[in-house]
Amino acid sequence: MADVTYREALRLALDEELGRDQDVFLMGEEIGRFEGSYKVTAGLWQKYGATRVRETPISEEGFVGAGIGAAMMGLRPVIEIMTINFILVAMDQVINHAAKIRYMFGGKVGVPLVIRAPGGAGAQLTAQHSQSLEAWFAGCPGLKVVSPATPADAYGMLKTAIRDDDPVLFCENLVLYNLTGALPENGDGLVPLGRAAIAREGTDLTLVAHSYTVQRALRVADRLSQDGISVEVVDLRSLRPLDVDTVAESVRKTNRVLVAEEGWSTYGVGAELAARLQRVCFDDLDAPVERVGQAEVPMPYAKPLELAALPLESKIEAAARSLLAECGL
Amino acid sequence: MSEELTMPRLSDTMEQGTIGRWLKREGESFHEGDVIAEIETDKATMDFQAYEDGTMLRILVGDGESAALGAPIAIIGAEGEEVPADAPAAASANGGGRDNGAAEPAPAAEPEAEAKEEAPVATVTEEAPSDGGGLRASPIARRMADAGGLDLRTLAGKGTGPDGRIVKADVEKALAGGVTPAPAAPAAAQAAPPPPGEGDDVRELTPMLKAVARRMAESKATVPHFYVSSEIDMTRALELRAELNEALADSGEKVSVNDLIVRACAQALVQHPQAHRSYVDGHHVYHSHVHVGIAVALDDGLIVPVLRDADTKGVRRLAAETRDLVKRARDGKLRQSEIEGATFTVSNMGMFDVAAFSAIINPPESTILAVSSTVERAVVRDGAVVPRKIMSVTLSCDHRACSGADGARLLQTVKRHLEAPTLLLA
Repeated sequence: MADVTYREALRLALDEELGRDQDVFLMGEEIGRFEGSYKVTAGLWQKYGATRVRETPISEEGFVGAGIGAAMMGLRPVIEIMTINFILVAMDQVINHAAKIRYMFGGKVGVPLVIRAPGGAGAQLTAQHSQSLEAWFAGCPGLKVVSPATPADAYGMLKTAIRDDDPVLFCENLVLYNLTGALPENGDGLVPLGRAAIAREGTDLTLVAHSYTVQRALRVADRLSQDGISVEVVDLRSLRPLDVDTVAESVRKTNRVLVAEEGWSTYGVGAELAARLQRVCFDDLDAPVERVGQAEVPMPYAKPLELAALPLESKIEAAARSLLAECGL
Repeated sequence: MSEELTMPRLSDTMEQGTIGRWLKREGESFHEGDVIAEIETDKATMDFQAYEDGTMLRILVGDGESAALGAPIAIIGAEGEEVPADAPAAASANGGGRDNGAAEPAPAAEPEAEAKEEAPVATVTEEAPSDGGGLRASPIARRMADAGGLDLRTLAGKGTGPDGRIVKADVEKALAGGVTPAPAAPAAAQAAPPPPGEGDDVRELTPMLKAVARRMAESKATVPHFYVSSEIDMTRALELRAELNEALADSGEKVSVNDLIVRACAQALVQHPQAHRSYVDGHHVYHSHVHVGIAVALDDGLIVPVLRDADTKGVRRLAAETRDLVKRARDGKLRQSEIEGATFTVSNMGMFDVAAFSAIINPPESTILAVSSTVERAVVRDGAVVPRKIMSVTLSCDHRACSGADGARLLQTVKRHLEAPTLLLA
């Protein structure tokens, strides 16, 4: 199969799941006739009709709540939130209901719901539209939180998420939509949730990232390899469940670890990993776990300031070099 | 008013003590002079007596646990008194955060492993003082050094990480360049042990065995030993012993060959002050008293009780004192004063069918006599071959304290006295 974009991979997954299972339906603002703000649902409304691809008004709390109700009754809704920033008005539905219903109903009722939520920054969309909030949700038991970094993972993980019997927050990054990559030739292409992937093998440093930051990490690894430094890039893919085992296995090989993420570092993915790694592979560390994240400010609008706040490759590279220098490399 | 009881200095070489067991439990009262604990030093188990009347309020260092000299080991006070809020918590308490004043269960009841794990800072291990203080090394560097048998202290000050932290690369380099032994500090002179094989039983040394290991290594490394051997005809000495024991039969007393040897040595030492002096910091110290140590093998260890002023005591008295000392040595009941101050040592392995051996000097002593088995041999006397009972002996000498001739003369006198044993009674 020819390379497809991340956007096309998502569309393919939705199309195939809508076709495979009558219980699957889509819901969200402008996803029908307008084909979604980022055109992920292109052609689906025409193909499956307004019952299976439902337009909603601007009412996140309402349609997320409706999705939860539908899921409790046995349907498999896939909700598109225009951007992850807007999910905050539906936070009560997500955290207090979707995440907890299976527990509060004694395991008798599940919520097979997927919420797709694009996020990230870099397009001058300013503070309220440029956030990577996935770590907030990853702290909540009852939710699965995933953030694929490649078209193949976007395709395979979305299909797995739709078939999952519990709520999954599916985080996309706006910058990834045009990234191209191959889909698997054979098999169903399903990718399990909760398993990290080694995006690139190396021996001197483990660079952990998720979502678009994985692409940055790979480019940093390329650049460092020119200086003879071998970087292993771990793509987390899922933030909850978090695959610490794969990261730890890598750290046991490299003895050094840097976590890069687009969200804020404070209480972030790197914070969680640092805590867990020091527990499971303390004796394998040659230096403290290092983190790079977005500057601890609301994302600025002005282009130079936005770039200054983002965890760009230059910052990741500098952090990597400084960490390695501490270790005599 | 409550006060802290601290680990007392019970011997000159002691750096820490181990509580053998507490004889007073928390809440129990005691009088001045009562033995409240047994404390194991590097040499012996000693009774720890109360200085004054009081009550045990809290035990800080439990049975089997160690503490540095001067570290608090218990809190004592008046009966019914509360333990002050700022008092240190028991070593076995979890991080020191227990209720103030609450009577704790006896530490003996706690699993030993747990107590050790949570021991407070005051509790030290044998290695702690020479650890170089705050040696900074990354966890993987520590692990690799450990696995590679590299003493990280050899890299002290050479770490290339932040603030001199020793990192993996430093250890790799050191291991690639061969393992260098630890620098000067004598206590750190132990080389890397071979890694234990599968099924090997690895055991912690007792404080006594650690002390023996350390002191013997120090002695061999710093004292220039030389050895003088001789063969002594013990035929007449053994006859004398038989005669003495027959005469003493009613009293239940007995004289051993070793008692005769000690007597001969004590007499010889008086006659040869050149061989009865120690080398200390560039000086010769001539000993004014003859204190003879007798090496006693224990089930797991070695101890040298001392016969004080042995030159002033007859064979019978030496025999009685030795019997008492050896028995108490085996029971672990010697007082500190009874195991220090020797000026000369006799190490007798005659009972083990030993042809010859040489002993390591126990500094600051400068001589030690190794006594081997007495065997019947054909000897030429006045042109005739006769059977005689021959004992071989080897005197180890510190060459800084005495010359070969000094040692030989001493040995010659020992031999003369044992071969003409009536001199032993003189």
